[in-house]
Amino acid sequence: MACTVHVASPLREYTRGAASVHARGHTLEALLADLDRRYPGIRFRMVDEQQRIRRHIRIFVGTQETHDLRQAIAPRQPVHLICALSGG
Amino acid sequence: MTLSAAERRRYSRHLSLAEIGVAGQEKIKAARVLVIGAGGLGSPAALYLAAAGVGTLGLLDFDRLDESNLQRQVLYDAAGIGAPKAELARARLAALNPELRVVAHPTELCAANVRAIFADYDLVIDGSDRIATRYLVNDACVLYGKALISAAIHRFEGQAMTYVPQRAPCYRCLFPEPAEGLVPNCAEAGVLGVLPGVLGTIQATEAIKLIAGIGTPLLGRLLTYDALELRFHEFRFSRRRDCAVCGERPTISAPQDPPGFCTLEELQRVRCISASQLARLLESAERPIGLIDVREPAEFALGHLPRAVNIPLGRFEQPGVALPGALELVFVCRSGVRSLRACALARRAGGPEALQLEGGLLAWQAGVDPSLLL
Repeated sequence: MACTVHVASPLREYTRGAASVHARGHTLEALLADLDRRYPGIRFRMVDEQQRIRRHIRIFVGTQETHDLRQAIAPRQPVHLICALSGG
Repeated sequence: MTLSAAERRRYSRHLSLAEIGVAGQEKIKAARVLVIGAGGLGSPAALYLAAAGVGTLGLLDFDRLDESNLQRQVLYDAAGIGAPKAELARARLAALNPELRVVAHPTELCAANVRAIFADYDLVIDGSDRIATRYLVNDACVLYGKALISAAIHRFEGQAMTYVPQRAPCYRCLFPEPAEGLVPNCAEAGVLGVLPGVLGTIQATEAIKLIAGIGTPLLGRLLTYDALELRFHEFRFSRRRDCAVCGERPTISAPQDPPGFCTLEELQRVRCISASQLARLLESAERPIGLIDVREPAEFALGHLPRAVNIPLGRFEQPGVALPGALELVFVCRSGVRSLRACALARRAGGPEALQLEGGLLAWQAGVDPSLLL
C-alpha cells in the first residue's frame, strides 16, 4: 500500500517539483529506499553515511516525529519530510 | 507607559478589542522589538509592528538595497536602490509612525556584537537570510533570556516557530545543527514575492500576542505553509534533553560563530563564473583550469565534471589544505553555496584568488550538460 509523502521545498528538486509523491514501505527505512529508487539522490539529503537522519531534517509519520529508520508505517499513513529553511 | 490622546485615536481599533484594550496597547508601546534582517520577512513584520505602535523597534541589516529585493521587500521603493537597508527601513517606519523610537543597526550580527545589540530589546524577530545567523540568534536568545519568533522561506514554502525562555523548546531543539550548503537561501533558490508577506505577518502577529499576553503562541509547534498547495501544517516538537544550548548539559555557554564562518564582506568579494562561461573556458584550453569540487565524497561519486578534484568544504575550515597548482581555480558544488564559502575561506588562508561556479552544478546541468548526475 502506497503512502503519501509530503516533500519539503528544498527536496522537491528531486521529485521534479512535486509537493507530494507516493512511496511504499512497511518501515521508514523501506519507504525511503523506495523513494530513492523513484527519485535518485533524495535519501542522501535526509540520511547521512552513518544512517542517521540529518540534523536539519525532521520526519513525521502521521503527526508523530521519528528519529528511527525502523519506525513502522501503517498503510495510507502520511509521511512529512521537513527541512530547515534559511531564506528570509 | 500611558497613552496620549492622539495615541488613543490612532490605536482606537486595538482599544476596541477587549483582548488588547488600553492595558494591552500600553504594553505594546513599552515593548522593545529587534527585527533581524530587513528583507522579505522583516519588511512586513516591521511595518505591522510599527503600525501597531511597538515603542522601540530595531532593524538589523548589513545589506544595501538591490533592485531584485523590490519584488518582495515592501519596506522599500526604487529610489532607495544602493542605500543601506537598515537606514532606509528606519526612515520608512519613522514616517509611518513618528511616535516610535526606530533604531537602525547597519551591521552584520556576529558573536562579538550580539550581546550588546540584544541588550536593548526584549523580543527578537528572526528574518535573516543566512542559516549561520539563525543559530547565532537562537543561542543568544536562549542565553540572554529573550523571546524569539523565527520564520524562514524557500521558493513557495515557509515555516515559523516561537520560543519563549523557560516555556518552550528552542530552534536548536527543532534543528540541532546548521546544514550550511544544504539549505539554500532566496538568492540561490528563488522565492515567490508574496510568500514572506504571509510569514512575516505571522511573525508580527506572534509578537503582538506575546507582548499583550493574549492567545496561544506557536510554542513547541512548527507551522509550515505551502503557497502552491495553499496548505498549512502544524508539527509538535519537544525540548531535547541533549540540546546544545537549552538542554540538561548545554555545551554552548556563549554565542559563537560557526566553524568556517565568513563575513558577508568576504562572501561578496568572491568572483563568479557562469556555467556557459566555464564551459567555454574548459573547451578553449587557453590556460590550465583547476576544478575543485567541494561537495561530500558520496555526492562527488554520483557525478562530477571531468578532471574535477574533490576537496570537501570541511577541509577548508581547517588550516593547510593543499590546492592544485593550476593558474586559475574554479570551485564548484551542487547549488553554489558551499563553493562560495570555500572560495572565501581559501582566500582568507592566503590561497590564490578563485572563481566559483554561479548556481553550481545544477546550473551546469540545466544549461550545459543535462546528463550530469547529481
